[in-house]
Amino acid sequence: MTPEVLLSILQGLPTTLVLTAGALALGALGGIPLVLLRRSPVALIRLPVRLLIEVLRGIPPIVWLFLIFFGLPSLGVRLGPLTAGILGMGAISAAYLAEIYRGGLAAVNQGQYEASMALGMSTPDMMSRIVGPQVVRVSVPAVATYGIGLLKDSSIAFTIGVNEMLYFASSESRATTDAIGPFLTVAAVYILLSVLSAWGARTLNARLRRRVAR
Amino acid sequence: MEPHPVIDVQSLRKQYGEHVVLDDVTLQVAEGEVAAVIGPSGAGKSTMLRCLNLLEKPDGGRFRVQDTTIDASAPIRPKDVKQLRRSLGMVFQSFNLFPHLTVLRNVALPQERVLGRSRAEAEARGMELLERVGLADKPAQYPSRCSGGQQQRIAIARALALDPEVMLFDEPTSSLDPELGLEVLAVMRELATEGMTMVVVTHEMQFARDVSDHLIVMAHGGIIEQGKPEQIFSDPHHARTRRFLRAVLDR
Repeated sequence: MTPEVLLSILQGLPTTLVLTAGALALGALGGIPLVLLRRSPVALIRLPVRLLIEVLRGIPPIVWLFLIFFGLPSLGVRLGPLTAGILGMGAISAAYLAEIYRGGLAAVNQGQYEASMALGMSTPDMMSRIVGPQVVRVSVPAVATYGIGLLKDSSIAFTIGVNEMLYFASSESRATTDAIGPFLTVAAVYILLSVLSAWGARTLNARLRRRVAR
Repeated sequence: MEPHPVIDVQSLRKQYGEHVVLDDVTLQVAEGEVAAVIGPSGAGKSTMLRCLNLLEKPDGGRFRVQDTTIDASAPIRPKDVKQLRRSLGMVFQSFNLFPHLTVLRNVALPQERVLGRSRAEAEARGMELLERVGLADKPAQYPSRCSGGQQQRIAIARALALDPEVMLFDEPTSSLDPELGLEVLAVMRELATEGMTMVVVTHEMQFARDVSDHLIVMAHGGIIEQGKPEQIFSDPHHARTRRFLRAVLDR
């Protein structure tokens, strides 16, 4: 492991972070309508959304990325590698996070809904001011775990030509004919990032938990 | 009977499938009156109360609260639900405070969202009410840091902050230690003295006897007896009432 190799790999760090954060943000937002529709009392809405979630989760990320990056152009939609990566990973994340939110929703006491209704609050107010924040709070650990997984899975975007960390590790490997050093280096960077993220998530969670501990 | 009661319930019925939990419940509550609802568990007391603000949808009969009439045989309009809940405050057995909000935000947020008050206005009114229930030192706490008795008093302040015309209490002290229940009952007593119209489902016989103006005894989904509390406590007409009172007073 040489400093040159490390520096070269770190050129991909911003892209790795943008890809991960972009996909996670997209998933965090996209998961909200998915979970709400997934819980619709109308079967005609609920069932297709359930199917969509299963499809999003059931196809491997790399296949999704190939479909979006290589497949969509034949339908006339041409996306850059990073955009395709964020969209693909974001769509998959939305499905996973919808399921995490679903668990969070189930954890909110029925009395919270009843109190909101008895106070005369509208349904949008109830969901955004009372129920939503509580779902977010109970979902933090699961979302963080998912985010850390996503950070590592973002390396898959290398296969569609996104210039993230693995891309630079691979070029280093080819340029120096060192088949192990660059990959061990990138592995170490991933471990460091995971540990940092896990620590950040624990801190955030502890802070939130301290308030609402029952 | 008062000429124009605040609450007028006619032949209210509620059932879950085949199981009838409320049957032909008819009652009136006059302005400024405190009505206590007592009876064995499973009598339908809470269900009756929850029908009044439509947390449960009645299956038959109709009722009126102030100017809002709900008829179970007709579709219920959202506008009526809103107006109905605007005139009713509700206090739950399990408090149901919002755990992610501070005590003051619990009392202020509904005012902002429901009445459109400004944050400053809502928090000023919130502080006023917290003071009134003896919790002026708690605004920045989270509910989980408060005792059950304090939580229930906060819940009362939260409901009062919306200026309801009637307060509904669903066994407000049942999940509290007797000692903590007393501080809640003291607040309720004060409310009653100030002339608030109240419907209180309770197992606190002392409260029912001393504070209420109107006693309603329920069993098996129906009202078996109602009238002046002193009369019912000293000379119940119904054998079921006698049995229930003996059971709760002789303990």
